[in-house]
Amino acid sequence: MHNSKIIAAKEFRTAYKDKVFIMIVLLFLLMSIASVYIGSTTKNAELKAYQDIVSVIQSEGGALPAAPEIFPLAILKNIITYITMIGAVLAIFLGFDSFSSERENGTLKLLLSKPVYRDQLITGKLLGAGVIIGGILIVTLLFNLTLFIVTTGLLPGVNEILRLVIFFFLAFVYMMSFYIVTLYVSIRTQDRTSGFLIMMVLWVFISFVIPQLADTQKNFAYALNSIASTVTQIPSDTALSKTIEYFSPAVQFSNVSGDLLQTVSATATTSVASVLGKNLPALLDLFFPGILFLILSYTRVQREDAI
Amino acid sequence: MLITKDLTKKYQDFTAVDHLNLKVNDGAIFGFLGHNGAGKTTTLSMLTTLILPTTGTATIDGYDIVKDNLQVRNLLGYLPENVMLYGDLTARENLQFFGKLANVKDIDRNIEEVLSLLNFTKWTDKKVKTFSKGMRQRIGIAQAILHKPKILFLDEPTSGLDPQGTKEIRDILLQINKDWGTTIFMNTHLLSEVTKICTDIGIISHGKLLVSESIANLTANFKEEKSLEEIYFKIEGGGINA
Repeated sequence: MHNSKIIAAKEFRTAYKDKVFIMIVLLFLLMSIASVYIGSTTKNAELKAYQDIVSVIQSEGGALPAAPEIFPLAILKNIITYITMIGAVLAIFLGFDSFSSERENGTLKLLLSKPVYRDQLITGKLLGAGVIIGGILIVTLLFNLTLFIVTTGLLPGVNEILRLVIFFFLAFVYMMSFYIVTLYVSIRTQDRTSGFLIMMVLWVFISFVIPQLADTQKNFAYALNSIASTVTQIPSDTALSKTIEYFSPAVQFSNVSGDLLQTVSATATTSVASVLGKNLPALLDLFFPGILFLILSYTRVQREDAI
Repeated sequence: MLITKDLTKKYQDFTAVDHLNLKVNDGAIFGFLGHNGAGKTTTLSMLTTLILPTTGTATIDGYDIVKDNLQVRNLLGYLPENVMLYGDLTARENLQFFGKLANVKDIDRNIEEVLSLLNFTKWTDKKVKTFSKGMRQRIGIAQAILHKPKILFLDEPTSGLDPQGTKEIRDILLQINKDWGTTIFMNTHLLSEVTKICTDIGIISHGKLLVSESIANLTANFKEEKSLEEIYFKIEGGGINA
């Protein structure tokens, strides 16, 4: 563990000396802050519109409509998109050359000629990435929490804090999964450019192509229902579309996060335990790629041709 | 002392190193000569525990390179060919990192000592990516000797350097060998370097060791040849076994 910590510290130091990486981190933070601001402005506009309607109805002596239910965490819903997109890119950027650059620069041979085991090297890199990604997410969480309090004037209760902590933990798992897959690709590829291109293609597939395929299937079901009209309707969320979505951790992350942050009115009152229980397959799907590629990375790095 | 017994490395049907039997005495500067693809780097990779031999054994100071690989790594320093180090880190940060991994006790004191030995103190806090090849090579040697290894393995240490850089590296190696008694095992294809620095020589061709001798013995055995170059071509061309 001692050697892994030394390697992790080096990873941390080199990442924060990389200007492009710093720019992506800043972009990530800025967009998450902007998303809270936009979310809270929209929410406030909705509340103001309701107040205006109430004033008009009261002046005319009519019956008041039911007050809208307020789920303050919903103002954070845009963060889900930013983590799904930019968070994944940030993790890819952190990992695409983590192994191949060591090979290209000759430092891999230097490292392994020291009393360092190969699995310690992987553990060190994971630890370093974990600290970096965890640090970024904690800073984002604190920023957003502060902004949330300032813009809504509400103090989050235990339920909200619990939902936020679980959301950021899942964001950590999601980003680390991307990092681990990227690390594995970096071990397998001979140069950093190939690793980066492979991961960007994978990212496009996971984040855009697969969700589009699932949506197409849903639209197809909707069209069939319209044509069939009174005949037995098939559910729009078909088994096929759900199966397609299981190939995209991005979709799973979005779905679970949406439920956690109470962005969908229909499920907003569901308890945290119920949300997690209902999304258990999605959660397993979120953890699976990371665990699989972690095992593959540890196995692959033991091979002689990994050097 | 470094001893190899029938050290062999095969990649499927290709034999990169074929039953290598070598002995390098403590304090020697051993030049391992051979053409490109002769098996020099594969030998070095096995001796530095980076790859496993297919058959045969090798020991450094009595430690087996396979069974006691961690002890062996504590004894050796290694500089691969064309090493770039971490460009975004300074020379000091690079040395601190490798020093910690090599379990160096008083890292900062050792860094100062090694850098002043290499006459490099001026650039300690400069980023490595701003260095010339010769400077990078010196920092590479610094990381290899930071823990004062018993044996130093170098792969083409003067490759791509200008005459001034080549001389500087040569002087450094001679000084380390003289001051610390460090054994040096150097892969090279430059005969001129071998004549200027080495006490012993090994010639490898197509994975087979053709000769392993002290330079004094070798020149005595080949009196008709005027230079080491002539001896080398006679051995390589004639396939003489020592």
